[in-house]
Amino acid sequence: MTDRANEERTRDGLFSFLSRRRFLKVSLVAGGAILGAGGGGLLALRGKAPRVEGLRVLDAHEYRTLQSLVEVMLPKTNAIPIDTASMDLPRAFDTFLADEPKQNVRDLQKALVLLEFGPLVFDKKLTTFSRLDAPERSKHWSEWAVSDNLLRRQVSIAMRKFFNLVYFDREEVWPYIGYSGPSMKRMPSVAP
Amino acid sequence: MSGAITDLSKEAPPEAITTEICVIGSGSGGATAARLLAEAGHEVVVLEEGRDLIGPERTQRDGPMYDQLYMDRGGRASHDLSVSVLQGRVLGGGGVINTCDVVPIPEGVLQHWTSKYGLEDYAPERFKRFEDEALGDLSASRIPESLVNLANNKLRQGAEALGLRGEVMLHNRVGCRGLGTCLIGCPIHAKRNPRMVALPKAIEADARIFTRARAVKIRKASQELKEVSVRTLDPGGYHEQHELTVRAKIVIVAANAIASAQLLLRSGVGNSHVGTNLTLQPQLPIIGIFDERIAAFDGIPQSYAVTAFEEEDNSEFGLWGFRIEGIMGTPGIVSSLLPFSGAPGMEGMAQYDRMTPSLLLVPDAPSGRVEIARDGRMTIRYEQREDHRERLRRGVEAAARVYLEAGAREVLVPTVPPLIIRSAQEARQAQRLTFAPATAPMISAHQQGTVRFAASERDGGADLDGQVYGTREVYVFDSSGFPTSASSHTMAPIIASSRMLTTKLLTRM
Repeated sequence: MTDRANEERTRDGLFSFLSRRRFLKVSLVAGGAILGAGGGGLLALRGKAPRVEGLRVLDAHEYRTLQSLVEVMLPKTNAIPIDTASMDLPRAFDTFLADEPKQNVRDLQKALVLLEFGPLVFDKKLTTFSRLDAPERSKHWSEWAVSDNLLRRQVSIAMRKFFNLVYFDREEVWPYIGYSGPSMKRMPSVAP
Repeated sequence: MSGAITDLSKEAPPEAITTEICVIGSGSGGATAARLLAEAGHEVVVLEEGRDLIGPERTQRDGPMYDQLYMDRGGRASHDLSVSVLQGRVLGGGGVINTCDVVPIPEGVLQHWTSKYGLEDYAPERFKRFEDEALGDLSASRIPESLVNLANNKLRQGAEALGLRGEVMLHNRVGCRGLGTCLIGCPIHAKRNPRMVALPKAIEADARIFTRARAVKIRKASQELKEVSVRTLDPGGYHEQHELTVRAKIVIVAANAIASAQLLLRSGVGNSHVGTNLTLQPQLPIIGIFDERIAAFDGIPQSYAVTAFEEEDNSEFGLWGFRIEGIMGTPGIVSSLLPFSGAPGMEGMAQYDRMTPSLLLVPDAPSGRVEIARDGRMTIRYEQREDHRERLRRGVEAAARVYLEAGAREVLVPTVPPLIIRSAQEARQAQRLTFAPATAPMISAHQQGTVRFAASERDGGADLDGQVYGTREVYVFDSSGFPTSASSHTMAPIIASSRMLTTKLLTRM
């Protein structure tokens, strides 16, 4: 058997852009908040996340960050009146990560820390992403896509790519976008 | 030993296999070589990292198909996420997940390669035989009018109204029913791709094909008997399981321009050219939005191309300019390319059935590289050049005018921030697009270069037979050897090139 810890690093992937060196650099350039505020203060700021059963990779805080993100990224609207709460998209992300190389998982976890403390690091607000109310969170998240900071744009791309792909692959969404579904199901006479 | 496909995720492999020829990669280059060599009576083993995913297992669903059919589960990208790099990871390679476009290497490019790079075997008159054979392998034919869907007809309608040259494309489908999900595999196998043509013929000629077999290193590359270190993968293709060594006199690397270079670099094989001169041919989506339902997801997604802006004989780069090609994807992939989030994103996707997307296909200079870091991580380093940005801007303006002429209500350029064009005058705003890193959803589907063919070791990574410099019979037979962009679509060029190189190899054996 091969050793998974030494598995060939052949896989690049969406979440492989955030090396430890780069994470530290961005954090420092952005104000040093994460490193400078002290671990205890940061933990207090983040607060306690509700326990989530059955996660394979994410912890409760990371899960909460993603849940907060999904709420503003894929909100219930007149165009698509679906509440994502029932979809548990953060768990889909957890399932995805369970089969990713360890280095990608570590990179993603760094990105989630940066996202959670984004209001502190980038906006100098003494709060965290999950604690912002929905309109403020939505505004803060939209700034990641257009930021001058390349890393923030990259996090935005990676998250949009994953969650959009999973969300719009759900059948309950299709009636609202005019998609008729996989053609094989619509054309039963077509056989392999 | 008779030919067969063996899934190594389902059984523990032997510690070692000895064969005459080991082919790494089962796509257009590898499958073609394996077939011709096996048919000539040679003992061939093919290694493929992906699995053999066929028939109803091709579910037409974004999530599982990108996970199983694409490298890095569809997430591969250039170093700064500016370009999404689509690369097949399935038995049959890129031909399983492409849009079936058959575009041979233009004569101007062949002449360019001959005169500038000394690739005499690619001289038009010498290469024609292999191009013809490749077209035969692919059962190439013009897409019938009945299969040009409404979205592609909108593109044609606009182009014709503006007097722009274009064409219904050649393809390699037989028995197509317009199921629409070419990018995530055809469930009825209408594509006459390597999986359906070359590989069955290779098996018939006793080639042994191993799937879920990742080649991780080539050892003893300058000795008579090479060793390929292989790690088998679990059924999902996520984790390595067992180790295996394949010993072979001849090793043919045909794993795509990225993965072939990655393997050679990791093996410490070849000279300083290996990994360099990468072209990604980045493409940018443009979306015409109409008032009426278009349902571009039904029918062949890519059947019409506006070719008026394409140059085939640029003195410095051969293929240049740009082309505009219709395209469509399933909802997951289309949404992932849109620049919106939150309520604007939901409103944007609510127009999915009224979208007519196309791709601006812009050939690039060979300026990227594949790198392996000390920790083993592979990076696709790619900086977009200003000449590429300039042609993208021209392309955006042209595509916008075409769609508006065809009656589009507006044209969405999915940059961050998005550009929405509602009139011919507004199309000039394309000149303001910066294409800063990670602000435009660029896609690469035709990676080339990285082990350039050259008559001298000073000028490239492999000789004119495809033999990697510094090795004894380790070859590259895929798009790695192309010195510049071969064509707007690389399947037919790779098959033709592999046919030529394999024929040369056979004459020496």
